[in-house]
Amino acid sequence: MKKLEYAIETHNLKKYFDEIHAVDGIDLKIPKGSLFGVLGPNGAGKSTTIRMLSTILYPTSGNATILGYDLLKDRKEIKKRIGVCPQELVIYPRLTARENIHLIAQMHGIPKTVYKERTDELLGRMNLLDRADSLSKTYSGGMKRRLNVLMSVIHEPELLFFDEPTAGLDPQSRRVVWDFIKNFQERNSTIILTTHSMEEADDLSDALTIIDHGKIIATGTPQDLKGRLGEGDNIEFKISNPEMRLDIIERARSLDFVRSGKNLGKQRVVLNALGGLRRISEIMDAVKVEMYDISVRANTLEDVFIDLTGRRLRS
Amino acid sequence: MNTLFIGTEKSNQLKYLVVKNFKSMIRDKAQLVWLLGYPLLFVVLLTFAYGPEVLTIMAPGLLITGPVVIISQLTAHLAEEKESGTLQRLTTTPVTRKIILISGLVSQAIVGAFQIVILLIVGYFLGINYHPDGNLFFLFFIPFMVTITSLGFGLILASFIKNASSAGGLAWFVILPLQFLGGAFMDEPLVELLPTSLAVEAMREVMTFGNSSIAAIGLPLLSIALWGIGGIALGILLFQRKAAIL
Repeated sequence: MKKLEYAIETHNLKKYFDEIHAVDGIDLKIPKGSLFGVLGPNGAGKSTTIRMLSTILYPTSGNATILGYDLLKDRKEIKKRIGVCPQELVIYPRLTARENIHLIAQMHGIPKTVYKERTDELLGRMNLLDRADSLSKTYSGGMKRRLNVLMSVIHEPELLFFDEPTAGLDPQSRRVVWDFIKNFQERNSTIILTTHSMEEADDLSDALTIIDHGKIIATGTPQDLKGRLGEGDNIEFKISNPEMRLDIIERARSLDFVRSGKNLGKQRVVLNALGGLRRISEIMDAVKVEMYDISVRANTLEDVFIDLTGRRLRS
Repeated sequence: MNTLFIGTEKSNQLKYLVVKNFKSMIRDKAQLVWLLGYPLLFVVLLTFAYGPEVLTIMAPGLLITGPVVIISQLTAHLAEEKESGTLQRLTTTPVTRKIILISGLVSQAIVGAFQIVILLIVGYFLGINYHPDGNLFFLFFIPFMVTITSLGFGLILASFIKNASSAGGLAWFVILPLQFLGGAFMDEPLVELLPTSLAVEAMREVMTFGNSSIAAIGLPLLSIALWGIGGIALGILLFQRKAAIL
């Protein structure tokens, strides 16, 4: 049998809800064994894409191949091989963590001895073992989120969809989930991770795609995407006279070390510049506008998004 | 191929889902009190209100009234699963929608069977006069057929309702007409072909007249069975639509 190169290949995948074009013609090739990020603001179409690829929704048009199976025709085969961690906390509140995980294993037909052993191992890795037999309705939000993740991996799927797996988690719990996801990838699973956290996408993804308004606006490795903005730092600041912001951006762009400039909201300006804060400050002096809340930082995926769309990821 | 028979894998899935449903039901104390206390309360209140003689006359109707309420239980259960996303989560596993639905029906049918037994026993101790020739099996089986038929109605209703908090309440728009038009609280039904009307008629034959012959109860039972099969088949068909799960 020919070895699969791609875990997922989509062909002009679309999903319309009446007038709303939630996903508007997505073509993706996701290499097998990779951790692929899908980054975009809320409402960009990330979750709808995942819901189609994970057999929850039917596409309005277009198709995809999942692990070599046709998304429209071979849904049963696909369901056997995928795991889905939904964005919402989807657990049975009156079952224990152990029972919740067992139920998913039972639906996949995993032998009892196997899933029992595996459940204990997973619960231990997510620091849930000591509360494994308490009803999950008594758990904290972080514990429920970790259980939500475990329910998607008990059957060791070849392809895993994580839809915003760390939403609302404290930094410590987020780190536990990240480590878990990275560790799972090492078992040769392909992982699709949707997030609107650029830090998460940057830290975890081998490659990622940025979606906005249901369309792909960029795809590549985090390094490639950030590299498109050049090597310099970003200088972000607020100005005392908001009406001047376009004029300031125009003047700054004429400087040889400024690659791009965007205005963000009423007062905030971001410039991609290789140093040169002093010369920018000279421009501000010339137009008699004060700068404040100045930050100088390395390029992030958020800057890539700003560069592509002119607005923040969380706007 | 669409078949009524299910293989080992599916029967295991069904078994585990039924166990899950029972655990969820038993661990919800308020629900448990409602499930088991409702039939008890019903008979006790009526006994105190009207006395055992009147209760005996009303008993065939009352024993049919109880099982109809299961419509509310099933509708609320399925709406809760839809709203919480658990139904959708299950559909990403190899289990089919049909098995998920059948598991809900089986769990509720077992609960319904318990409720009928409680009604019969408590009714006996409170003074309901069962005819000595009344067949005990049919005293249980007729209300149980109403339970199954009611589950079909519940399934149809649940395929349109997405909100758990309103599901139980909306179910009463079906329950009350079935109870009142079926003559559960009167001497005779207002609409004769309803499953409740047919069941009250059959129940009266067995319970009051001690007549369990095919000639007396065969046709009503067959008609209730047709209601049940039709209702459940339509319910499963409607519920299997993509939109019903989401």
